[in-house]
Amino acid sequence: MSGETQQSLPPDDLHTQAGEYVLGTLNANQRRSIESRLTYEPALRAAVDEWEQRLLPLTSLAEPIEPAAGLWQRIVASIAQPKATQVTAAKIHWWQWDSLSLWRGLTGTGFAAAAVLSAVLVAREAPPPAAPRYFVVLAAPQSQSPGWLVQAQTEGRLRLVPLGTDNVPAEKSLQFWTKGDGWSAPVSLGLVKPGEAIEVPVDKLPPLQPNQLFELTLEPYGGSPIGRPTGPIQFIGRAVKI
Amino acid sequence: MPPAAALQDDAFDHDAALQACARGDPQALRSIYERETRYLLGVALRIVRDRATAEDVLHDAFVSIWERASSFDASRGTGRGWIYSIVRHAALNRVRNSARETVLDEPATAHMDAQAAFAAWQESGDELARQAALGRLGHCLDGLEPARRACLLHAYVDGCTHSEIAERVQAPLGTVKVWIQRALRALRECMQ
Repeated sequence: MSGETQQSLPPDDLHTQAGEYVLGTLNANQRRSIESRLTYEPALRAAVDEWEQRLLPLTSLAEPIEPAAGLWQRIVASIAQPKATQVTAAKIHWWQWDSLSLWRGLTGTGFAAAAVLSAVLVAREAPPPAAPRYFVVLAAPQSQSPGWLVQAQTEGRLRLVPLGTDNVPAEKSLQFWTKGDGWSAPVSLGLVKPGEAIEVPVDKLPPLQPNQLFELTLEPYGGSPIGRPTGPIQFIGRAVKI
Repeated sequence: MPPAAALQDDAFDHDAALQACARGDPQALRSIYERETRYLLGVALRIVRDRATAEDVLHDAFVSIWERASSFDASRGTGRGWIYSIVRHAALNRVRNSARETVLDEPATAHMDAQAAFAAWQESGDELARQAALGRLGHCLDGLEPARRACLLHAYVDGCTHSEIAERVQAPLGTVKVWIQRALRALRECMQ
């Protein structure tokens, strides 16, 4: 597994990698790879922090530039937007929830029904792969009725299957997110159309973990403008190993 | 252009401003904006090399600062460093994701580059101002071979890729990669 090779690198290489990331010489894929590792490799994160501080004085070599008059207004408009659409309790983001009663609730009847259903769906699918397989039932937070199913059977791909048809207002989009233990924030897996199954490549993400959180939120049309969930939770669930 | 020594004025408490942002105080974000935008925009513009794109990067970065202020951890580094890192990585991700390399080769910008800024800084006789601006880092950069130092500056300040640096310092790509790795090691050792 890649995690093992990375850990066995001499510390010097870790610092060089971190240094190249902060310098900016890595390409887009290498940058994404480092950024995804930062959330679960404290040694790499510490090395990056060190380089950020070490090289920071070089920012003073860039000449200051006056911004256009409208820039601050644009920023204000953007930070005001999520608050207007926020329906759930302010300031508590779902990814900060720590196994609240919600999760106990999810093990109830709706969960069981969906588990049976998922077993049926799994049985119908292609030959069993060697990698660990997971499924996630995404349930509505209030009613706990299952709405979507996430299947991870093929390595590097997730399949999101609707269990019904949701109503999404015309000016809104449903956005799919995930967050593993130790990640600093959720990662978007893209937009979802009500009633339509999608397949999502997740080979850029760390391997799926038991209990990893999945979530569909209601976002402004076209998706969250800030790369983080801003709207109310429609469906939520955690990965279970089969 | 000599470095803006005024940046080192510690009167502004970035950590406190970020903590206020985390509590949802937009005035705190405004204070960071007023204090830092000109410098942050300068940093972003050097990397993305287009005024409108640089302002887009600043917009996105300030929204991130607002949203992520609660994740700022003073035990991991300074608030000011955290803010600059968000802007730099937003700018770097923007240019790397759009694969700028094919379009960019303006000879004009190559002359107004980081190496020139550093040379001007070295020639400015004011030792105190130099110490204030770059401190230990300046001393350690001074100790590097000029070509290797240039590689680091082109990367960090000008946002150059390995191949862009190779072109600017007129050296083979493989050599540049090795120079950068060695320069990073030497710098880390010198600054410990």
